[in-house]
Amino acid sequence: MPIEFKKTQAVFSEVVNVDDAEALLGWLQKKSSTKVSLSACTHLHPANLQVLMAAKPRIASWPTDANLRAWLESVLKFEQGDHYGKDYSNRG
Amino acid sequence: MNPLLEQFLSEARDFLQGIGEKLMQLEQAPGDSGLMNELFRLVHTLKGNSGLFEFPEMTRVLHAGEDLMDAVKDGRVGYAQDLADQLLDAMDFVGLLCDEIESAGRIDASRAADSVRLAEALRALIVSHAAADVVASEDNAPSPPPPTAEGAPPSLADIPEAIRVEAFRRAQDGDPLHWLVYTPVAECFYQGDDPFFQARQTPDLLWGDIVAPEPWPKLAELDAYRCVLGFRLLTAAPREVLDEYYRYVPDQVRISAVAPLLLATPQGIPNGGPVYSEEDAVAFEAILVAQRRILLLDDHPVWQTGRLKAVAGVLVNCFKATGDPEAAGEIEAALAQSLATGDGVPLLAWLDARHGDMQPSAAQMGQAPVSTGLAAISPDGTTTAKGVTSVMAAAPAAGDETTKFGRRAEDQPGTKSLKVDQVKIDHLMNLIGEMVVSKNALPYLAHRAENQYGVRELSREIKAQYAVINRIAEEMQDAIMQVRMMPVSFVFQRFPRLVRDTSRKLGKEVNLVLEGEETEADKNIIEALADPLIHIIRNSLDHGLETPDVRRACGKPTVATLTIRAAQEADRVVIEIIDDGKGIDPGVIKRKAYEKGVINEATLERISDQEAINLVFAAGLSTAEVVSDLSGRGVGMDVVRTAVEKIHGDILLESEVGKGTRLRISLPLSMAVTKVMIIESNQQIFGVPMDHVVETVRVPRGDIFAIKHCQATMLRGRIVPFKALNVLLGLPAEPKANADDELAVLVVRVGGETVGLLVDNFREAVDIIQKPLSGVLSSLAAYSGSALMGDGSVLMVLNVKEIV
Repeated sequence: MPIEFKKTQAVFSEVVNVDDAEALLGWLQKKSSTKVSLSACTHLHPANLQVLMAAKPRIASWPTDANLRAWLESVLKFEQGDHYGKDYSNRG
Repeated sequence: MNPLLEQFLSEARDFLQGIGEKLMQLEQAPGDSGLMNELFRLVHTLKGNSGLFEFPEMTRVLHAGEDLMDAVKDGRVGYAQDLADQLLDAMDFVGLLCDEIESAGRIDASRAADSVRLAEALRALIVSHAAADVVASEDNAPSPPPPTAEGAPPSLADIPEAIRVEAFRRAQDGDPLHWLVYTPVAECFYQGDDPFFQARQTPDLLWGDIVAPEPWPKLAELDAYRCVLGFRLLTAAPREVLDEYYRYVPDQVRISAVAPLLLATPQGIPNGGPVYSEEDAVAFEAILVAQRRILLLDDHPVWQTGRLKAVAGVLVNCFKATGDPEAAGEIEAALAQSLATGDGVPLLAWLDARHGDMQPSAAQMGQAPVSTGLAAISPDGTTTAKGVTSVMAAAPAAGDETTKFGRRAEDQPGTKSLKVDQVKIDHLMNLIGEMVVSKNALPYLAHRAENQYGVRELSREIKAQYAVINRIAEEMQDAIMQVRMMPVSFVFQRFPRLVRDTSRKLGKEVNLVLEGEETEADKNIIEALADPLIHIIRNSLDHGLETPDVRRACGKPTVATLTIRAAQEADRVVIEIIDDGKGIDPGVIKRKAYEKGVINEATLERISDQEAINLVFAAGLSTAEVVSDLSGRGVGMDVVRTAVEKIHGDILLESEVGKGTRLRISLPLSMAVTKVMIIESNQQIFGVPMDHVVETVRVPRGDIFAIKHCQATMLRGRIVPFKALNVLLGLPAEPKANADDELAVLVVRVGGETVGLLVDNFREAVDIIQKPLSGVLSSLAAYSGSALMGDGSVLMVLNVKEIV
């Protein structure tokens, strides 16, 4: 299981497939305060990525994969506690 | 190149030709729906065929063409001249791709852009025509925005300084920089795409980021499977590599070349666009020029310090105003130096460096070096200038966008294969046949010259000439035969699919082994073989091979093996279909055959298992329940046998219960020439096809004995029944014996049985071109045809099966 859903935290590991996006979206919709751990993740399908970008959960840990981290940091770095609110991409 | 691709290319050219012709015809008769359907079918088939290979460029264009034709066919879009033009253009493009595949084995990735453009143009016709059908608008040559490198992608400013420096370094090393905007279509996830992965794996990726929609929809309304993301990438890969990498989605990417210089400029523009207007820029320019002039003053008044400070202050404020506050630090540093030395040189140097950067035109003239951040890499302005020109050259010229794919006749590469109407080959075949026959008249002539006119010398010369003509004629015949030859793979290639589909349907696991696909035989034979073979294979799959469970229970491997093997044996092609299924039980066959009245009780007792198995070919047997046992789809094995025999082939079935079945079809290489044995009976000559002849023997009259009213003899431990040819043909004459009172017996095999034909004499075996009997004679079953002999006489060829 590439995504392990805990109480308030979703733990991503290895390659997260397109099929997981549905479950992820459902889980994020249910929870009010969520954290995502990406440290063991090496790649995630953009379906999952856009769910994360829309839901803006707190990122508990960034991927150890430096390349993936660089990609994700630019889009998933939300100001803390600013869920669902701020328009993050006023960057250019 | 594999044969399938070769065939595709050859067919594709035919299709293109056909499409062109149909389009021309449609111009004459735009309302002809039959033509339109035909045209649609051609485009559709060609598209389907192209899908078998990895030629997305070709398929894309054809697909668009198909859509357009579909719209025209349904009357949604009217047929018009420009529509035909566009289609012809597209087909020319496809032809071009075919040539490219043939010469290079692949399509160059740079074609992707052209293919997208053509496909869009075709699609646009559907829309524009549908909309403006009544007005019959002319303007439907849409020009999608050309992907030129116009201007700097403003988003370069988002790229961190370190990466920009690295990119600049790569550019200085000669790597082309490209800015790539990849906007996947919303449905791409359903097509199995992973655009993020695609973007991450982009060759020579320097930097990339993800573009998201604004604002995000509410989480509850979000559809995770509609792709809304886009990607922006900076890469150092050459254009061709990028085109190749994104060849499946060329319509979703925009690639533009990046001038290395542009990497330097955005330093001060965090908002992603020019902050100052044209006038501002002029004013800014003027201020800088003024400051420069001040610094250049070489008088050293007491207020020099104050002047330098003032200049520095102006510069700091100016650069702050243009959104470059960082410049302040550098200016301070330069000011400190200037104050220390007491002259404006350090400040001037800084300003010059900065100024040049602000003004690419100046850089082009080779006046000023680039910005400080990059000064270390390119200390002189010339490198920069060079960079600019090379980028100019790399940028695709917008003017070339309207490249036409129409090719002139002389562009056509010489095709290696020639498509010839079969009728012409047949005609050639007939001609050579006649030549062989007339050539055979020469020995007779030589004979007459010697015996009748007594000119031996002439006879010998005629014979010598005959030898030459004979050799050439034989070679010619052989060459024409070769033209008609086709590999059996023509038939075999459809079997993998057939086996796969059928076995899937039946729930059986079958491993198909094809051997000797390159074996060649005459086209007619190969074509005639297709249906019987399909039938045999279906039979094997349906009735021969067991389901995996049954096989496991029998201790056989669960995956059954079906082998189809072709090989050439002497002048025949042998095709074997071997399965390792349950085999055929001769007992069952015998019983069924007896029940059906195919064999009588005596035969039932007598026939061997091998003979019994071959009873499945008997006409009466392949009906009702037996069909469900041994064959299937309404066509019996007798049909197979008939088809094989029609092309002068033999079929033999061997089977072992529990082990499998082996079906052996032996066919002549060519039907054009038949070898016959000439026999004499009642002063007439007849031909007997060599296929039937087992041996020729002379049997002393004393060795012939009668079994009831039938004559027979013992030949090599077997009883061979005799039949007199004269009797069979209704000739009122006795067989003649030779001087030693021996009778000439031609032993022939008819469907597994041997029979001795009593004839008067044997003659030679000859190659003849057999012509079927026509007209009134065609009802004579006793003869299979006739042939013209070298001396002008007609040889009747016996149909042994019928007369015995």
